[in-house]
Amino acid sequence: MSLENRKYLTLGLLLLTSVSFSIKLVYMQLLDSSWEKRATEIAEKRKEIVPPRGIIKDRNGKALVINHVTYNLMMVESKMGSFDTIAFAKLIGWTKEEVAQRFKDIVANEGVYKNKSSGKLEQNYRKDQPYPFLKDLSLSEISQITPHLMRFPGFYEAPSSKRYYPYPNAANILGYLNEVNREEIVKDRFYSPGMNIGRSGIERSYESILRGVKGVHYVVTDASNNVLHPYANKKYDIQAEQSPELITGIDIDLQAYGELLMNHKKGCIVAIEPSSGEILAMVSAPCYDPNLLSGRKTISKNYPILSQNPNLPLFARPLQAEYPPGSIFKLLQSLICLQENAVSINSSFSCNKSVVGCHNHPAPSSIIKAIQYSCNPYFYAAVRRVIQPNKSKNLYADASIGLEKWSSYMRAFGLGHKLDIDIDINGQRGGLIPNPEYYDKYLGKNAWAFSTIRSISIGQGEVKLTPIQMANIAAMIANRGWFITPHFVKSIGAKGPLAKYLKKQVTPIDPKHFEPVIEGMRRVVYEPGGTGKNARSEDFTVCGKTGTVQNGKGKKNHSVFIAFAPMENPKIALAVFVENSGAGGEWAAPIAGLMLEKYLRKKICNPSKEASIINAILAGN
Amino acid sequence: MREIKNPVYKIDLGLLIALILLMSIGILTVYSATFNDAVDTSYWGAKYGKQTLWLLASLFIGFFVLLFDAEYFRGYSAYFYFFTLFLLVLVLFMPPVNGARAWLGFAGLGIQPAEFAKISTALFLAKWVEQQNIKLQEIRGVFQFMGIIMVPSFLIFLQPDAGTLIVFSSFFFVLYREGVSFDPLIIPLIRRFIKTPLKSTWLGEHFIPFFFFITLLGFLTLYLSSSSFVVVGIPLSGYGLLYVVISLLFMLISGGIWLFGYRRTRVKSFTILISSTLFCFFFIGFITLFFEKVAAPHQKKRIELLLGLDEDPNGSDYNRNRAMTAVGSGGGFGKGLFEASISGTRTNHVPESETDFIFCSFAEEWGFAGSLVFIVLNTFIILKTFQIAERQRSVFSRVYANCVGFIFFYHFSINLGMNIGLAPVIGIPLPLMSYGGSSLLSFSLMFFILLNLDSHRKDVLR
Repeated sequence: MSLENRKYLTLGLLLLTSVSFSIKLVYMQLLDSSWEKRATEIAEKRKEIVPPRGIIKDRNGKALVINHVTYNLMMVESKMGSFDTIAFAKLIGWTKEEVAQRFKDIVANEGVYKNKSSGKLEQNYRKDQPYPFLKDLSLSEISQITPHLMRFPGFYEAPSSKRYYPYPNAANILGYLNEVNREEIVKDRFYSPGMNIGRSGIERSYESILRGVKGVHYVVTDASNNVLHPYANKKYDIQAEQSPELITGIDIDLQAYGELLMNHKKGCIVAIEPSSGEILAMVSAPCYDPNLLSGRKTISKNYPILSQNPNLPLFARPLQAEYPPGSIFKLLQSLICLQENAVSINSSFSCNKSVVGCHNHPAPSSIIKAIQYSCNPYFYAAVRRVIQPNKSKNLYADASIGLEKWSSYMRAFGLGHKLDIDIDINGQRGGLIPNPEYYDKYLGKNAWAFSTIRSISIGQGEVKLTPIQMANIAAMIANRGWFITPHFVKSIGAKGPLAKYLKKQVTPIDPKHFEPVIEGMRRVVYEPGGTGKNARSEDFTVCGKTGTVQNGKGKKNHSVFIAFAPMENPKIALAVFVENSGAGGEWAAPIAGLMLEKYLRKKICNPSKEASIINAILAGN
Repeated sequence: MREIKNPVYKIDLGLLIALILLMSIGILTVYSATFNDAVDTSYWGAKYGKQTLWLLASLFIGFFVLLFDAEYFRGYSAYFYFFTLFLLVLVLFMPPVNGARAWLGFAGLGIQPAEFAKISTALFLAKWVEQQNIKLQEIRGVFQFMGIIMVPSFLIFLQPDAGTLIVFSSFFFVLYREGVSFDPLIIPLIRRFIKTPLKSTWLGEHFIPFFFFITLLGFLTLYLSSSSFVVVGIPLSGYGLLYVVISLLFMLISGGIWLFGYRRTRVKSFTILISSTLFCFFFIGFITLFFEKVAAPHQKKRIELLLGLDEDPNGSDYNRNRAMTAVGSGGGFGKGLFEASISGTRTNHVPESETDFIFCSFAEEWGFAGSLVFIVLNTFIILKTFQIAERQRSVFSRVYANCVGFIFFYHFSINLGMNIGLAPVIGIPLPLMSYGGSSLLSFSLMFFILLNLDSHRKDVLR
């Protein structure tokens, strides 16, 4: 081989190199798209913009929940430089150790972020990223700090927001916000550490609407993570959208008045607009100012106090408490008896106190009078005809058939199961309407008949209702046979309520059977011998029914009253429940009367009655 | 036929145009990779301004070089060589910049003597090979040329500057072309064990490409060591694959020898083929065994990082990862001038994007289309240089031209390879592209001397 041929080795090497470079570049630049993704990852950052949370208003357009600007003191470690801890601690009023501890906490907790592709939480504290050093400072607090921040490079103020409640009322309805926990962050892509989520009430049940639509802003960043300019002329950006306003059916003045009346009492008031099912007020006493649970600092201070209060202010009684209904149940019994033809309007039963106790009153010569006098033996006899309809020779089987029929009516009235209302409260109860299976389970099959379970005929014994169910019964009677599931939000923006709150729930009771019952209710309030005269108003006709719930030996009775007004074309139906206070006519009826006047007349004509109720102390707050 | 007297008219226009084209691409890319309107106050104060000055200076000096007689370079090559040796010693007493004593400062301007040592070594080597009394097949000749290459290499090693050191190994390929033989070293070694009348061996004659091939094979073995492949349904480890490939090559070449080889050299050819194949097998086995069993974990880690096997995109492999991202995200036609989102100066995700990693800026802005044009242009320059080398009448010019070709080839392949992940990260500029005066000036000088020598080739009598 001559030496000149050795040049071919060189040429071969050169061509091999150039061709392999070209092939590698074909692969990298034309075929493999993962480099583009990597480039996006490196240079383009997704910045998420969380819109301000939606506003909640009452039925008259008064804002119940708004956002208040607060301030966070932010820190970026890489920009801090040498740092005088003692001077800084003095500025924010902390000790040097507390400042050092807060630094450790930030590295451990605030550095947690959510990996957008895997959805996992990762610990990635970065010195060039801002983290809040102090959160939820008020304007006066931050303005003490800001002028001195020039001495501490790397610290700056940033606006933040927290919920503010202009009225100190309706805390249980509106609910509160708190920081999302780890599971919620992992489960829902919307959340990232440090964000808030609705924890109860409307804030929780309408969370997906109230949080709004998160905006996304793509930016180009340099190697030290500074934002340079928007990416691709904002072509891929998504505008943040605030939630539409939630218009609730609440009348905040009525709500506030109810809370005032229930001051120093335990119990609740629920008022509903019968024609729409909108809840006008839902008082749970004792109550608390919702501002006590707004903002991280405030919540951590106040929550333990509220949750340890023996009177349970955090307990939403209208939804979470179940009580025997007492005599108000006689209205429903009347309707069922009339519908089942067990009695007619003019049926008469003697007031035989040997079967069940009663108070002294004139003879109940019709069902109207039986309601007016709230006669226990009358309803004992009438309901017996429903529960023992003589359809079977066997007494027990007969009772089973009758009770099945009876309980199906009760279920149609919205009892014995949870009402599908639109606030989400842990432990909402559904009350109890016993059916044959219930007694078979507890007493044994063929071991019970009407005589065993007779106390249900006067609303005692096993029967239990939640106060909102009581109010709903009033609304159902006011509507003469139908109701719309009670709800708070009457309109999401301008779109109206959720579809399920437009549907009438029609009961199987013929409308004509309501007239005697309603006449009975009117007489309860207006006729001599009626138990509800304390709810009387001269300007409009109140229809009501008292209840006095026996509460075991040694405890005072619960006082109950349900009512609606006016008699024709009712505007408001309500239930009042005052725990351990006395007879229904004594406490619940006057409170109901004042509420009706407040709502229908906007002013109170009997200030002395009002004062005596407000000043009555039945329970410590 | 009238003979053109002025040799300036005889310069190789193809090469000159290709060089000026590459320089233009270079200055444009430096401009784009360093332009920052937020910082730059005036054109001449910025990096691209400085580079423009260096470019103008290089072209001026280049044309000045064209005016010299070719004899001048032959005559003064020894002085150049020893002068650069002196500078290489001098530079070792300078304060280090970025951990290396590579810079000689003159009133704010810094130059790197190592860049110019490449030219003077090439010239001196060419002169030495040309001398009739030096026999490249004798022991004295072998030691002399090794000395010429090793002395500046050693001084550069002391700086240290690994990139330029590697480039100096390119001179061995030139000597291979000139017929250097390692037999004077190998035959006495063989004679220690067996008596043989051999005057030359295949290994001695082809020692340089063989050594190069073995080094490459070693790297390849390490590179493939942690991967596995499936070939026609058979799972293979990295070295298993190499065994298969070498066996296939063996069969192919032995078939070729059987069909096309000369009958009288057939036995010799097969002996060489079988012994080299066996050697390769043992070598691969040895390397694998060493890497897997003997090397300590931290040594293994370093080797893996060097080869890019262990990805550490935000740590030690940050630069290469960012550069490859820039190249890969360029796509078919690139993001456009000044639009580089990774290597651009405003985002600055690739450090050194105007010097060693300038290719990634170019490839990100111009995409695959630009990259292909770039590779073709560089390949053309190297091919043209080798073609010029082969048409020279004098040994001096041929050796020098081959040196230029190989130096350029080394720079091109190592730098580009490192930008696209085919070579380890070694600090070495891309010729005529990278920001830096010394590199630009030395490559210009190198090529203008070549153009000068080529234009005078007819003056030499055969």
